[in-house]
Amino acid sequence: MQDLTTLQIKVQDPWKSPADNGWNVIDGRTINDDRTLEADVIIVGSGAGGGVSAEILSQRGLKVIVLEAAKLKTSAQFNLDESEAYRDLYQEGAMRATKDAGMTILQGRAVGGTTVVNWTSSFRTPKETLDFWRDQYAVEGLSRTELDPWFEQMEKRLKIEKWLMPPNANNDVLKRGCDALGWHAEAIPRNVSGCWNIGYCGMGCPTNAKQSMLVTTLPGALASGATLIHSAQADTLIIEGDSVTGINARPLKDDKTPTGAKLTLKARAVVTAGGSMQSPALLMRSGAPDPQGLVGTRTFLHPTNFAYGIYDKEIAPYYGAPQSMYSDEFVFKDGVDGRAGFKLEMMPMHPGLNTALVGGYGASAFDQAQRLPNLAGSIALLRDGFHEDSVGGTVELRDNGEPLLDYPVNEYLLEGTKRAHLTMLEMQFAAGAREVRPGHAHAPYYKNWKEARIGVESLEYAPTITGLGSAHVMGGLTMGQDEQRCTVNSDGSYKYLNGLYVIDGSVFPTSLGVNPQLTIYGMSARNATALADSLTA
Amino acid sequence: MDQGIDRRGFLKLGAASSALLATGSGLALLTGCSSQSEGPAEGYRYFRQQDVDLLTPLVGAVLGPALAAAGASATDGMKAYDDLLEGAMPGTRATLFQLLDLLQLGAARWFLTGSWAHFAEQSDEQLQQTLDDWSAKSNGIARMAFKGLTQPMFMAWYAKPAGAVTTGYPGPPQIVTA
Repeated sequence: MQDLTTLQIKVQDPWKSPADNGWNVIDGRTINDDRTLEADVIIVGSGAGGGVSAEILSQRGLKVIVLEAAKLKTSAQFNLDESEAYRDLYQEGAMRATKDAGMTILQGRAVGGTTVVNWTSSFRTPKETLDFWRDQYAVEGLSRTELDPWFEQMEKRLKIEKWLMPPNANNDVLKRGCDALGWHAEAIPRNVSGCWNIGYCGMGCPTNAKQSMLVTTLPGALASGATLIHSAQADTLIIEGDSVTGINARPLKDDKTPTGAKLTLKARAVVTAGGSMQSPALLMRSGAPDPQGLVGTRTFLHPTNFAYGIYDKEIAPYYGAPQSMYSDEFVFKDGVDGRAGFKLEMMPMHPGLNTALVGGYGASAFDQAQRLPNLAGSIALLRDGFHEDSVGGTVELRDNGEPLLDYPVNEYLLEGTKRAHLTMLEMQFAAGAREVRPGHAHAPYYKNWKEARIGVESLEYAPTITGLGSAHVMGGLTMGQDEQRCTVNSDGSYKYLNGLYVIDGSVFPTSLGVNPQLTIYGMSARNATALADSLTA
Repeated sequence: MDQGIDRRGFLKLGAASSALLATGSGLALLTGCSSQSEGPAEGYRYFRQQDVDLLTPLVGAVLGPALAAAGASATDGMKAYDDLLEGAMPGTRATLFQLLDLLQLGAARWFLTGSWAHFAEQSDEQLQQTLDDWSAKSNGIARMAFKGLTQPMFMAWYAKPAGAVTTGYPGPPQIVTA
């Protein structure tokens, strides 16, 4: 039996003493008086878009302030406790869901954003996706050929390489199943350096092997003179005439409620990099001009469905690099805008996440929970936003200004989910599973592929009982030169306000068909460099 | 304006199921639940006394033998649920409380779970039957309520070391701060 509980990890935390590093870090929890700070650029959010932008802009000599709502939590505090990780490092304590509870959303809320808790998969954007953006939304300058040098730059910066270690048993299921069926399967490129292969990417990497923004671009930006203000939330944009001149922010206490102080940040340019949902919500709270009513619409999730396989041999899905094998056999099978295509991957499973997704109640739920050591979890990420029946969700504001995503689960997603279920059931049986069940509240474990195929036909595919979730929130501030359908230009500038730039995953006109981090890194590097050029000209 | 519920209005009511949740608090107020406590119950940071009374039996039934396997009680499961709410945003908690206010009403319990009785007034067997009926319901809002209430119970309990170890998960490596 695999057991890592006696393994000792000595943490070397680069954040042990920020002041000794000469870093300017302000803790919003300590701000009780109103204050105003000035800079060349305010960056709202410290994740993939904000981190990359902060490093590039500050290295060009610009005075940068990075504003982050989450409190600073670094490797010395990453204790690998699942409940503490959800509480401190995820949006809404990992309780975020779409408005009708149809899809659970795992999105980071940390200094370093989702990059602190993602599973490290790093793919370049598919050419098909970028061509679709060019053809449908008049996105300019972002063809695969034009983006490749930016991907290359960020792959080097974040040490992204194909994972060369053998996959863990969970990921080996995907490889064995796909190999047996003659389907594509390949190792995943990961942003790690000296990875211990322990499997805790989702709880904050304790060894700092994961090249998240927390240990790469943010230290890079701070070393170049940037200021980080954490535990302070961007409330509204300061809009003067047709220009954005700063941010009204609220320092937050440990419990995420305001300290009551007002923090005013003034700058020549504001970059929103809060991620999808947060970035559109900031514009909505600010009453930013939006003549077509597009802000917050076309928000996408890669709606992800699940299949659980039981194996005779131990799988230990909680240990080892969480994602190391993938299959693109079905991503563009029906063309770029046909029935929902999906990418096949595996997911790491720790007890809280696993039981929450598997659900049920009473004795049978506990029986399933106890199968964890022999359980493999495969996932299919549906590409949303390409077909006319797939328009994604819409960001709304709750009465208190928090974002909420209204994303009804429709027939398009349910049809794709059923096909993906069948695909994953076949794959897991081909990999030698003893029993497999799809992530569906009414589905039993099936004993073989034939029984599964018949069983799935009798399931009711409807919202909520069909298990769906997402760790990829994209879109909401559509990029492109098509004025009728887009709010952001291809260089990241907002169409209806001067001085406002959107540099994060919000600008994607559709989902991607791959895990989004490298796309955000590459596009952000390009657009932050263009912004630096214009501000230093 | 026609105040009667004609066919068209009725259909609209069915389609806008989330509106029922949204008006849950209001309904509870109208029917006399307003005298209930609004502050957290003793020993809890978020759940109010009426939530603790309502949900503790349900937590016991949903988590079932998992609690006993850890030498824990339904109250321990309920406390874990309360801890989970610490990470949530005020808006997330408000939505949950609206649902809980709604479930204080017998009619709403019947509509959502198939049983009129308060969870504290059901025997263990009756609660299992309620869960059987509730999880098999075909109306969207009942399904939404079931998932919305039970999913966090699992997340809350099994993410705790005491719950986690009962799944066969040995636990994480040890962290030694340099």
